Amino acid sequence: MAEDPSVPPARGITRRALFQGAGAAAAARALLGATPAGAEEGPAATPWRTQGPGAVDVALRVNGAERTLRVEPRVTLLEALRLDLDLTGAKPVCDRSQCGACTVWLDGRTVHACSVLAVEAEGREVTTVEGLGQPGRLHPVQRAFVEEDALQCGFCTPGLVMSVAWAVAQHGPGLSEAQVRRACAGNLCRCGTYPHVLKAALKAAGQGG
Amino acid sequence: MKAFRFLRPRTLAEASEALRREPGAVPKAGGVDLLDRWKERVEEPEVVVGLCDVTDGAALRLEEDGALVLGALATLADLAGSDLVRRFLPALARAADQAASPQIRHRATLGGNLAQATRCGYWRLRSFPCLLRGASRCPVREPGGVQETAGIFANDPCASAHPSSVAPVLGALGAEILVGGGPEGGRGLAFEALWRAPEPGRSDVLALEPGELIRAVRIPPSAHPVRVGHAEVRQRAAFDWPLVTAAVGLTLDADRIREARVWLGSVAPTPHRARAAEAALTGRRLAEVRATFDGRAAAEGATPLPGTAYKAGLVAVAARRALADALERS
Repeated sequence: MAEDPSVPPARGITRRALFQGAGAAAAARALLGATPAGAEEGPAATPWRTQGPGAVDVALRVNGAERTLRVEPRVTLLEALRLDLDLTGAKPVCDRSQCGACTVWLDGRTVHACSVLAVEAEGREVTTVEGLGQPGRLHPVQRAFVEEDALQCGFCTPGLVMSVAWAVAQHGPGLSEAQVRRACAGNLCRCGTYPHVLKAALKAAGQGG
Repeated sequence: MKAFRFLRPRTLAEASEALRREPGAVPKAGGVDLLDRWKERVEEPEVVVGLCDVTDGAALRLEEDGALVLGALATLADLAGSDLVRRFLPALARAADQAASPQIRHRATLGGNLAQATRCGYWRLRSFPCLLRGASRCPVREPGGVQETAGIFANDPCASAHPSSVAPVLGALGAEILVGGGPEGGRGLAFEALWRAPEPGRSDVLALEPGELIRAVRIPPSAHPVRVGHAEVRQRAAFDWPLVTAAVGLTLDADRIREARVWLGSVAPTPHRARAAEAALTGRRLAEVRATFDGRAAAEGATPLPGTAYKAGLVAVAARRALADALERS
């Protein structure tokens, strides 16, 4: 879904760059703001750390790499991944833990990135669909999705790939149809590609995905 | 979502202390539903006590006296996947495994499940009036109110329904709740004492003192064999809320029921104990209840609204299925 750099975007601005600019502006406001919002640590008397309400530095481990970003505690992992780290595989659709389009792994387990705070992912391992495989060296589940035509519009696909890859990692070559269905129960596909997703999952598992 | 300060205690004791020092602060474990509510601005906390760094709250262990202690920060996936829970509390493992979706079970915790807010659509949208949010009446109870998922017991003045499907199983197991951090330190609560009846203008459902957290659930050891069964009625098998949940716990003397515990979910503002069904089972032989228990006693005392009349029938079905489940499995 990367924007083609050879095509000049309309009016010289991309939607993503606009969001990124807005994010940077928000961060700058927090840094310069009238409130002590940028303070990362609370009063010295507390044994616990306090973050926010303004932007704080957060160190995340995403797809094996250390990434530091500056976000308010209210920013979701999904927003941070997409707008701060430019990892746009996880999709914002319902933003309410219902559709599964934003599915990523947190410490190897599927979660809705829309329903985790970015600050909560500190010290945890985040894996997005970009970390699963790359063009030219696809993860077996991604390859099976292509081979089995397991997508139509593709918007739910990154989330489904993460759920299927988790199921394959959990159950290995013995992955059953029922286990695939259960693993994908939190992923909605409005195009109805489920039968092909099921075939792709079983194929990937059989190939030792 | 409104901006908030995020506090990161590392122990349950620190978390309690943080809640005590910051009146109005909200504890967040998995917080899947909390985030929905904050995004909708139904609730707008200024201080959140994040439990993500707490390291002493998720253990699942067998005590020396045979009690099972389940840390409140264990996720539903932890419960469903635990060898200990699957071996000793299989009905609980199944109930946890059927809830929501994998993504949610990987985040949602045992404590958060017990502390769940109602799914009532009026309460969840700021544009509607709601008794719990300060309105003078409950719109569910008004003519034309959307009633299908409302409570059928103790539903006046608020017809909300507590959606936990784990809670009825824990009730049937005779669980007690360990809460902690209050002025006098930790204390044990009888299962039903965890919740309070709805009051106008109060959205919280837990009967906790300021600074208190649900620390753990304790299943006491039993000198007698206990059988527990669980059944949910839903519209969809996958990723749906229950319309009605029932759980039946039987303490046996040979083939006679010495004590019965019957709990229902999604039918009242708090998990609901069906005492008439317990009376109908207690003292009877297993073969007798297998042949005659029709579950209708579980619906005794129901006061359904016009849109929830069907739920009384579902309660009987769920209670019957839960009993069958208890009799089938050890």
